[in-house]
Amino acid sequence: MTDVLRIDGLSAGYGPLRVIHDLDLVIKPGERLGIVGLNGHGKTTLIYAIAGLTGWQRGSILLNGTQIGRTRSQGPGRYTHQIVRKGLALMPQGDEIFTGLTVEEHLDSGAFTREAWRDRKIRKERVLDLFEPLRKLMRTPVGRLSGGERRMVSIGRGLMTDAKLYLVDEPSLGLAPKIGQSVMEALFALDLKDSAMFIAEQNVALLEGRVDRVIGMHAGKLKGEASAGLGFN
Amino acid sequence: MELSFILTNAIVVAAIYGLIAVAVSITWSSLGLINLGYGFVFSFAGYCAWLMAQNVSEWPPLVAGAGILGGALAGVMICLVVFIPLHDKPNFTTRGMIGTLAISLIGSQALLMQFGPRAKALPEIFGFWQVDIGGVILTSDKIGIVVCSILMLGFVVMWMRGSRRGLEIRAMMMNPHAASIVGIGIRSTGVYVMAMTGAMAGLASVLLSQTYYVAPFSGLTPLIKGVSIALCGGLGSVQGAVIAAVILGLTEAVTSRYLGGQYVLITQFLVIILILIVRPRGISGLLDKAREQ
Repeated sequence: MTDVLRIDGLSAGYGPLRVIHDLDLVIKPGERLGIVGLNGHGKTTLIYAIAGLTGWQRGSILLNGTQIGRTRSQGPGRYTHQIVRKGLALMPQGDEIFTGLTVEEHLDSGAFTREAWRDRKIRKERVLDLFEPLRKLMRTPVGRLSGGERRMVSIGRGLMTDAKLYLVDEPSLGLAPKIGQSVMEALFALDLKDSAMFIAEQNVALLEGRVDRVIGMHAGKLKGEASAGLGFN
Repeated sequence: MELSFILTNAIVVAAIYGLIAVAVSITWSSLGLINLGYGFVFSFAGYCAWLMAQNVSEWPPLVAGAGILGGALAGVMICLVVFIPLHDKPNFTTRGMIGTLAISLIGSQALLMQFGPRAKALPEIFGFWQVDIGGVILTSDKIGIVVCSILMLGFVVMWMRGSRRGLEIRAMMMNPHAASIVGIGIRSTGVYVMAMTGAMAGLASVLLSQTYYVAPFSGLTPLIKGVSIALCGGLGSVQGAVIAAVILGLTEAVTSRYLGGQYVLITQFLVIILILIVRPRGISGLLDKAREQ
C-alpha cells in the first residue's frame, strides 16, 4: 500500500526567511500522527507547505503517490485548490471561516468533490453527530458563534469530504481546556480507515496515548520520535 | 404630479446604476479587483445589441439577449486578459485596476475604429405604450427598465444564494484564503463572477440606451457612477449598493429638475463625498449582522 504522505528533502519559507530545513516525513495509511513543538518552529509552515500555501518551497511531497510538491517561488495558494482536491482536508489554525455564511452553508462548502456534494445531507448528519452543539445553530451566521463553536465548524467542514490526509493545526488553541478536550475527542473518534491524520499541537498532554506516533519539531526540523504512551522529552 | 415625476425618474436611474454598482461590488469583494473595464463591457454590449438589431432581428428579447451575452463575453475577456495573469502577483489591486482601465480605453478605441464616432440608436424594445396610475403617467420604457433590472438583480441574488457556484462565490467574498482551502479555484470562480457581472453591465447598457445612444465611449459615465455608488454603498455589499443607487438616483432626479442637468455630476459627487465622510466604509456598515473577525 502506498504511503499517504511521503516528504523528501522539503525546505520552505516566506521571502528571505527559511522556516523548514530539509525535512523528511512518512505517514502510513490509518495512522494518527502528532507533531509537537513550540510557537514559531514550523508546524504551521509544514502544513502550509503540504497545501502549497507557503511563499516558496522545494522538495518532493507525494500524496498517495502523486507529486504535489513542485518547486514554487511565487503565488502562494495558486495551486492550493487543486492540491486540496487530490485528497487533503485542512483544518487551519485560526479557523479560516467565512463569517457571513451560516453553519449549514459552511458544511456545504466543505463538500467540494462531486460525491461529497451529492450526499452532503448524510455527511452533514455525520458531522452533527460528532459535534452535537452545532445542530441547533445550523442557520446562524458563523460570525456570531463562540470560539469553540467556530473550531467545531472549521473541523466539521474538513470532515465533509473523504480526504486521504487530514491536516489539523492546533485544534485546542485558544479554547477553554474542557472544550479543547471535547474537540480532540471528536478527532480521535473519527474512523480513519485507510486515510491518515496529522495533528500539530503544543499541548503534549492532549495527544498522549491517543495517537500512534508523536514527533517533536524544533527549528524547522523533526526531532526525536516517541510512540504513544511513552513520555516525551 | 411633480413629486411623482421626480420619484419615477429617480427609480429608473437607480435601477440602471444599481446594476453596475452591484456588479462592481461583487467583483471587488470576491476577486479583490476594482474592475474599471466595465466602460468597455458597457459599450461592447451596446454594440452587440445594435448589431443584432441591425442584421438579424429587432425582436426585443433577442436584442436584450445579445446585449447581455455580449456583456458576459466582454467580462470573460477581461478576466482572461487581466485577472488570471495578475491575480497572485504582488500589488494586484493597483495593477488590476490599471489593467482593467487599459482594457476599457483600448477596447473603446477599437470600437471607435470599427464603428466610427457616430452614435447608434437601439430600437425601442419596450414599445410606446403608457399607463396612468392615479395621475402618474408611467411610460413603457420606465416600467420596462425597472422591471428588467429588478428581474436581473433578483436572478443574480437567487443564484448566489441557491446554487453551488453562488456558494463558492460568496465564500470567496468573505475569505479568499479559506476558499482555496476548501477546494474553490480562484481562477475558475473568477470566470463565473466576471461573466455574471458582465451580463449585468450588458443589460444595464441595453436599458440605458433606451434613453441615450450607443457610442464607443458611452460606457465612461456609467462606469464612474457605478464605481462611486459601489464605493458609497460600502464595496462588497449588494444591499449597500442598492441603497446607495436609490439615494444617488434621487439626487440626480431632483438636481436635473430644479437646477438643471449640467449640475447632476456636481451634486452627485458632493453627496458621495458627504456619505463617505460620515461613514468611511459606506452604507453597508449599518447593515452588517456579523462583525469581521
